Amino acid sequence: MIQKKVCMVGVFGTGKTSLVQRFVHSMFSERYLSTVGVKIDRKPIQVDGADLTLVLWDLAGRDGHEDITASYLRGSHAILYVADGTRRETCDQLPELRALARGAAGEVPEVLALNKSDLKERWALAAADEQGLSRAFDLVRTSAKSGEGVEEVFRRIGRATLAIKEARS
Amino acid sequence: MTATAEASVRVDASGLTDVGRKRKQNEDHFVIVSLRKAAEVRQTSVPDPHVFDRLQGQEALLFVVADGVGGRAGGAIASETAVTSLVEFLADAAGSVHGLDTDREHEFLERLEHAVRETHQRIFVQGGGRGQGMATTLTMAVLVWPRAYLLHVGDSRAFYLHKGRLKQLTRDQTTGEFMVEAGAWTEEQARNAPTASALVSALGGDDLTVAVGLVDLQPGDVLLLCTDGLTRHVPDERIAEVLGRATDAESACRELVAGALDGGGSDNVTVVVARMAG
Repeated sequence: MIQKKVCMVGVFGTGKTSLVQRFVHSMFSERYLSTVGVKIDRKPIQVDGADLTLVLWDLAGRDGHEDITASYLRGSHAILYVADGTRRETCDQLPELRALARGAAGEVPEVLALNKSDLKERWALAAADEQGLSRAFDLVRTSAKSGEGVEEVFRRIGRATLAIKEARS
Repeated sequence: MTATAEASVRVDASGLTDVGRKRKQNEDHFVIVSLRKAAEVRQTSVPDPHVFDRLQGQEALLFVVADGVGGRAGGAIASETAVTSLVEFLADAAGSVHGLDTDREHEFLERLEHAVRETHQRIFVQGGGRGQGMATTLTMAVLVWPRAYLLHVGDSRAFYLHKGRLKQLTRDQTTGEFMVEAGAWTEEQARNAPTASALVSALGGDDLTVAVGLVDLQPGDVLLLCTDGLTRHVPDERIAEVLGRATDAESACRELVAGALDGGGSDNVTVVVARMAG
């Protein structure tokens, strides 16, 4: 079975763990518990007829005390950035996070999950902001709570990792 | 026990267990193991003997705590089986810890998880295959400097102290945690419910969920594995203070266990402390 290491990268509280919980365990919790170090989950998926296992590295989010640990990113086959559409600053930090991730993991496929799409009344981004993000990233709107976009974002990243392999072979 | 996980880092590790003040039998067990598969060159005519250095094999350290489930027959046997079986299974994996690239790292993690599942099966069968015969928690760390791989089942805990801050690396697999996580109970309901501390996952039990994680440590960090006999009586702030102040792992263990006994010692208490001495 092909295994692909996918690192989840973002500011604290953007919903990285919740996305993994929804995708792997079909669960959602309102409770926030910050991740320490890395939590690892596996999920077998089928993309375009190919079987692969996504090994999801849920990294502790960047906060005021500590940055993302670059050593966790080495050897990644893809990066899934997660931003919170109700907190603009989580999007503002994406360029820095991308530079850090590319420095450690190199040029690997990237997808952006713009999370918490269920919180429409608290949405902090204008249409133009999202268009700007879409130009910079392969963007999927997600909600770990409702499930919107969750299957799609992981499927898209799985497909991207396979495309890289095909391009290289 | 002092071991060297890499030339630049000395790991000062120690463990201690105590029956506590209320229980008649200690159903906890722990182990600290140095794992190394190496070729040692005794003599050679080769002008630069350092060419053989890569055959030395990087040392890995294994730390395990297991808490036999109280009230069930054979809790002590279950935790002992967990500890002995894991050492047996992981001794074989020692040779695969050197120079881990991504694929080998995932393979290594799978081997660790497989060892836990095999151990679960062994205890399950020992208990008569009913899931109610005997069971145990398990919290283990495999340190391949600087990375600590963690596997966890039940409500024992792993912490690490980093720059004076104590961080919990594991989440309790109990009914209370599960119900709060699912939104069915409030935190207060979980505190008051008599069934809140019941395990929803245990080695040898009906259900097994192996939580897997890792953390990269730095010189000065301290790793702590413990059973709930410690955390019932010693608050996190006190644990952080003891780990931060102690000058060696053995005295830290003694002080933590003494704190649990002074706090009531309602359960068996077991701690394993590993200081990345730098």
